[in-house]
Amino acid sequence: MGNLSPLARRLLSSYIGVILVIMYVPIVTVGLASISKSRFFIFPIRKTSTKWYEQTWSSLQIQDSFITSLSVAACVALISVILAFFGALAYARYDWRGRSLFQQILLIPIFFPQAVLGLALQLWFNSLGINMSWEATVFAQMVWIVPIVTLIIAIQAFGYDAAVEEAAFDLGASRWMIFRTITLPLLGPGVFAGFLFAILLSWGNFPLAYFTSGADVTTPEWLYGKMIGGYTPMVPAVGLITVLLGGIILAVGLKINGMLQREQ
Amino acid sequence: MASAPPILQLKDVKKSFGSLNAVDGVTLDIVEGELFTIVGPSGSGKTTLIRMLVGMDKPTSGDILLRGKRINDVPANQRPTCMVFQSLALFPHMTVGENVEYSAKCKGIPKKQRKEIGTRYLKLAHMPQSYYDKPVKKCSGGERQRVALARALAFEPEILFFDEPLSAIDYRLRKTLEKELKDIQRETGKTFVYITHSLEEAMVMSDRIGVMRDGKLAQIGSPSTIYTKPQDRFVTEFMGEVNTIPVSLADDGRLVSAELSASFTPPDALPGGFTSGVLIVRPEDMSFVNSANSANGAPENQVEGELFNEYLLGSRIQYQVRSAEMTFLIEELRADAVTRALGDKVTLTWRASDSMVFAE
Repeated sequence: MGNLSPLARRLLSSYIGVILVIMYVPIVTVGLASISKSRFFIFPIRKTSTKWYEQTWSSLQIQDSFITSLSVAACVALISVILAFFGALAYARYDWRGRSLFQQILLIPIFFPQAVLGLALQLWFNSLGINMSWEATVFAQMVWIVPIVTLIIAIQAFGYDAAVEEAAFDLGASRWMIFRTITLPLLGPGVFAGFLFAILLSWGNFPLAYFTSGADVTTPEWLYGKMIGGYTPMVPAVGLITVLLGGIILAVGLKINGMLQREQ
Repeated sequence: MASAPPILQLKDVKKSFGSLNAVDGVTLDIVEGELFTIVGPSGSGKTTLIRMLVGMDKPTSGDILLRGKRINDVPANQRPTCMVFQSLALFPHMTVGENVEYSAKCKGIPKKQRKEIGTRYLKLAHMPQSYYDKPVKKCSGGERQRVALARALAFEPEILFFDEPLSAIDYRLRKTLEKELKDIQRETGKTFVYITHSLEEAMVMSDRIGVMRDGKLAQIGSPSTIYTKPQDRFVTEFMGEVNTIPVSLADDGRLVSAELSASFTPPDALPGGFTSGVLIVRPEDMSFVNSANSANGAPENQVEGELFNEYLLGSRIQYQVRSAEMTFLIEELRADAVTRALGDKVTLTWRASDSMVFAE
């Protein structure tokens, strides 16, 4: 922006400002809706109240949904990272027969609309006789999330000189020692970023959970259920809490990632 | 040196990738304590060869023997040899010291002794102790070279291999490091096997040179042998700029060049059954005809031409002379050079004994 005239600079700033407002006003609206005393959202708000937050806090249904969502996210993130780590090495690091096919096939789940993918998985689980539950949701979300995490880690794997592993091998290191002292530390930041992505994508995912969770209810599912029947301002309250939790996970994660990068 | 037993023997070593023979039957003995350089253009198979020597690849056929023991199938981490990689392959997430200590860590040596080893070899590679805790990411190009060398030396290998580690650094630093490397080799008495595409580098450092072409060793010998008695046109041209004249043998025993409409006296030894081929003369073996060298009558070999350009090479001057459709390069010491104008008519000459002839 160094060589812009003052007028152009001001125009550009206001343009960015308008975009930001348009993008984030809906979230502010959600926040406003959650503190409205009346049951239905009417603007401007006449009376404010924190009672919906109190009810949210004490609702067992909502507590359950949070626990379910967190369990799903934690399982998805852990398993995805392990699978994706080795997948990324196969994707980026080693030459093997079928590698390019693997690289292409890996991306297919990402291109499926999630509703279609969810339906397909539901039919598939049904025909395999697997019960719909949050555990089934873990598998369903992994179909979509593992490829994404693999790509994130693969970027890191592409970024380092493969000769360092050979050099370690040449200096007498065993396979395990190379993995522990070279490969893992060098891929560390990518692995962590992948983990973070997996948690956030799972935390906010609705369509795959909707088709596969059966009687278990994740937070996005609870939100959806209340939207189509039985709306109260607890919906925006839960929505806002969900966003804030996601934000906290992201902020803490970025902080840790920054520390990992600096250590290198 | 010839009496010492070979530390490394290669017996008809071959490596093929599909139908391509990257290394096509290399037989070679490397003597303990020597600095042997394998030199060749890119694609000549030298990197494939060195990868087999360190244990990263297995030969398709043939044998590699270390002190008489076959090591074809011994993986790199179980061989008492070590390599300095072309990319150096320093561990980017570690400090200088951690890099140098790595092999000691692999051997399970306790921390305190590891540091002693690391310190000793950093010093040998001319790196100050103050760099010990510096991240390698913050080191300059020359420092990285030294860390890589120290790391490989700290492994205390029986043979140290180098895969063109100096190819990416600037000329002045490269010259310094080439000499340092040779000094370190003398100091430690280790066997060094060095790979490069630069014959100049090979000349400076080596006890012996193997010139590689198309997966084969075209010639093995001391730097001066390779320079003065190259085996064929490839080796000759690889050694540096040369003047090449296509010739055929005439009935009177002279070499005739159709392009220059001239004939030349052949060197003493012509290849057996020679009928046609090339006459090769190095730029520094050519001179201009002047009153001094024509005092006892006209010189035996003459080419007339026009001075087209001149290049200053420090202590020497190189001239380009054009004659018919050919160009010639002539070098003189700057101290001996007389003033000439571009476009002057000049006559070149050389002693028949300084020329080489190869059949083609």
